[in-house]
Amino acid sequence: MPVVTLYLNRLQKLLGKKTSRKKIISTLPFIGLDIEEQTKDHISVEYSPNRPDYSTDYGIASGIQGLLGIKTGMPKLKIKKGKYSIKVDPSVRKVRPFITAIIAKSGKLDNETIRQIIAMQEDLHNGIGRRRKKTSIGIHDLDKIKFPLIYTTVNKDHKFIPLTSSFEMSISEILQKTDVGTKYGNILGTSQQMPIILDSIGNTISFPPIINSNLTTISKNTQSLLVEITAVDKNAAEDALSVVANVLQNAGFSIFSTKISGANNSAPSLNSRRMILEVDLVNKILGLNLSTSTIISSLRKSRLDAKSQGNKIICTIPRYRTDIFGTMDLVEEVALGYGIQNLEPTIPQSVSTGQKNKITIALDSMSAIMVGLGYSEAMNFSLVSKEVQYDLTKRDSSNMISVDDSKSQGHTILRDSILPGLIDTLSRNIHETYPQRLFETGVVFSKVSNEIREEIHLACVCAYNDISFSEIKSILQSVFRTGVGLHCTTQMSSVPTFSEGRTANIIINNKTVGVIGEISPEVIDNFKLRIPVAGFEVKLTGLIFD
Amino acid sequence: MSKVLHPIEHKIIRTLKETPNITHDEIAKNAELTIDQVRRGVEWLKYKNLVEVHESEVFFASLGQNGKEAVEKGLPERRLVNYLVKHKVCTFDDARTAVLENEFNAAISNAKQNGWIEITKGQTSNIITLKDNIKHSPEEELLTILANRTPVSDIKNKSAFESLKKRPDFIRLDSIKTTVITLTKQGLDTQITHSTGALLAIDVEAPAPEVFAARSHPLQDVINEVREIFVSLGFAEIYGNLAQPSFWNFDALFTPQDHPAREMQDTFYIKNASTNKIATHNQIAKVSESHKKGWHYNWKLDEAKRMVLRTHTTCVTIRHLADNNPDEARIFSVGRVFRNEKVSYKHLVEFNQVEGVVVGKNVTLRDLMGLQREFYYKMGLKKVKFWPTFFPYTEPSLQSMVYNEKLGKWVELFGMGIFRPEVTKPLGIKNPVLAWGGGIERIAMLKFALSDVRELYNNNLGWLRSVPKCP
Repeated sequence: MPVVTLYLNRLQKLLGKKTSRKKIISTLPFIGLDIEEQTKDHISVEYSPNRPDYSTDYGIASGIQGLLGIKTGMPKLKIKKGKYSIKVDPSVRKVRPFITAIIAKSGKLDNETIRQIIAMQEDLHNGIGRRRKKTSIGIHDLDKIKFPLIYTTVNKDHKFIPLTSSFEMSISEILQKTDVGTKYGNILGTSQQMPIILDSIGNTISFPPIINSNLTTISKNTQSLLVEITAVDKNAAEDALSVVANVLQNAGFSIFSTKISGANNSAPSLNSRRMILEVDLVNKILGLNLSTSTIISSLRKSRLDAKSQGNKIICTIPRYRTDIFGTMDLVEEVALGYGIQNLEPTIPQSVSTGQKNKITIALDSMSAIMVGLGYSEAMNFSLVSKEVQYDLTKRDSSNMISVDDSKSQGHTILRDSILPGLIDTLSRNIHETYPQRLFETGVVFSKVSNEIREEIHLACVCAYNDISFSEIKSILQSVFRTGVGLHCTTQMSSVPTFSEGRTANIIINNKTVGVIGEISPEVIDNFKLRIPVAGFEVKLTGLIFD
Repeated sequence: MSKVLHPIEHKIIRTLKETPNITHDEIAKNAELTIDQVRRGVEWLKYKNLVEVHESEVFFASLGQNGKEAVEKGLPERRLVNYLVKHKVCTFDDARTAVLENEFNAAISNAKQNGWIEITKGQTSNIITLKDNIKHSPEEELLTILANRTPVSDIKNKSAFESLKKRPDFIRLDSIKTTVITLTKQGLDTQITHSTGALLAIDVEAPAPEVFAARSHPLQDVINEVREIFVSLGFAEIYGNLAQPSFWNFDALFTPQDHPAREMQDTFYIKNASTNKIATHNQIAKVSESHKKGWHYNWKLDEAKRMVLRTHTTCVTIRHLADNNPDEARIFSVGRVFRNEKVSYKHLVEFNQVEGVVVGKNVTLRDLMGLQREFYYKMGLKKVKFWPTFFPYTEPSLQSMVYNEKLGKWVELFGMGIFRPEVTKPLGIKNPVLAWGGGIERIAMLKFALSDVRELYNNNLGWLRSVPKCP
């Protein structure tokens, strides 16, 4: 989840009405922000990526204003008609087909505003932009640019001075040698034609989605901005643009439109939308009996516009609220504006009787039997290491099931047996008093022509100097006789983990359902155990439940 | 402290009453016990304050090389006197031949001190005259005594001893440490009864050897507790696979196929696994349509077929609801879920999640909050509050916070919400669905006061054998 750092002094100013820090901090959770860290001067909050308008303190101030009633209703975005135009060359279609832009004039940038804008840009890249793949944003010093611009493609030998560099580099070099080039270059795929924004005298403005030109770098002295967004999805580009436009307007800039034409591109539409909300739906879902006017004022506190029309409410939703899909989202806006703390919990009536799943009931019983026989329950992971599951236990790994790109070394394959984990557990407890008796129940995995099968097994181990095949067989017999009234027999077999001549298949109802035996000295050695171990593992699925 | 005495203790006390202040070895000999039995018994008695153990060091004196020679040949002063016995009177120069050069001064001064000789001035040299009645000197007497090793404390003539000590290598000193056991006043008062074949009393207050009760895993106990609470609230448990097609884990829950949560860094995809039948044709068609309409992208069936280790139990819930389509229901599921994260003190790749769902025509957000409060109340958590939050498949969504008395702060527990119409509508679920859930390890950590979640899966027998079943 993305994090925004808020300076409390600045936030207090942005609110426009004297509000104590305590009041601000206690309000934050009620607009959906989680407090991560708090110091004397600043506070870091986590926001959910579906609310990109909360990526700056401007957006958060707007949310607090609403909930505290300082300013309610939809913040209006005023876009004046500008004389700036961007032409799009059809060659971009194959690589990054869309561009959209706005102009922000006569504003003032200080260090903190620049920091907020850059942090917003990063969050938008990662969220709406899907790590720049879907959309990427360039913010430029307008005064360095000669309009009209052209969005076109060039070859990889095209050269310009990229941002933070002092010398010219070719696009090939940028892709190979810069951090952003290596990180985002793959977005452009195998195309030889690279997207580029050039101005009317041929200066490179940006090489999207990788890097801007050094020419248009913004600073504290910058007064006017060009914001361009290139994208593979026009709608997503306009989502991101609406967030940036609102922030810049809040930061004191005047916003001007741009004319965009060519190859199915057009000027951005950042207009608000309307949605109809039924009063009954709100009250039905929230379990309240709110009047139309309370609902309207609650929506306005959530910074939406609303007016009544008969038994319905017409809501106006600003373009940047991309999280609002339908009326249920508006119901939540009412709840937030009304105040979650004002909702009194109720208990719904019910005639249903609860019950555990039959698998749970069976496993609970087996567990009780094992405990009664002196075995303690262990809990291991089902995502395990090959070393324990196959190598140290000498098991055949040819049907091993792996997961892709695990971040944790010890968790790379799905277990097909519980016993290896239990032997590993013994090996991590060699300093504890013996005898050690452990059991575990759980899911094991197998693969039948690419389909994953899941079965539930029961396994146990017993380790101490006098453990023998006959003791562990006594346990096995008792588990099935006392547990489920089944008689089991054992039949000599040969299984790698166990000692030759002291291993048997477990037969119940004429079917082999598991294996029992003394663990082989070699395996004992592999796990650095210095004590004999015996155990068994039985498939319960198909035996005591399906 | 136990008043019962072991037979060994009896024997020791009886022996000490007969012969006080003796060593372990002496007790062993007198009481006919082994030295180990005596050592153990003395420890017990000491603990019961019936005996005291004193450690002491005894110094011994014996003769050195020169001392031994002096016993044979006599001390220098004696040899001088023996010479004089033959010659009666002699000069200093004559006397020098009688004893060694380096012993001469000592011989003269000691003989004079013993009153054996008289010295007068001659013409050229001093004259030594032997007196009458020559007795043995105290040094000579001591020398004969010290021919046998003798405790220093037994030596009566201390000045003779000091004098001999000053002479080089006449006396050797050594010491022996001894432990002496003495009865305390209480010990002296202890009555020794002679057992007469009746059952011997045993020390019922002594610590007994440890045995460990077999038990279910503490985390399993918490899972069972959560289960019981759901059942008591009228919920039926459902069960589902850990490996699921992406369709049920993501698509059916309106998570777009390019959503960051679906990327490999958060989700475990199973290698070379797929499934032919992920859902009904109608379910697939409707979900696909909902994605195209809501997220404006080209939904792909192949992506929905990829097998994942479920990232939440919601996939089990939604599949159950889609397949059974109940108008009213209270169901829950609990089990393992997976996240591709780096294991740390607060993250596991695999943990347990519980999820409850209520379907009903008239269920509300306030009901969801009420059920939540009821659930926590049964868990022993009395203070609950709610904050808004975001989940991709619920709207409205809330986060519950509970006050932890031990930590003295609010902690985040279960998340909850009402399934979005974008989730329920395509799957034909008509009534609102209240859902809530969260990780169980978090509750277990609070319960067992753990700061590292990995401890729950270490299966450390030291912990499993000591953690109380009902803390």
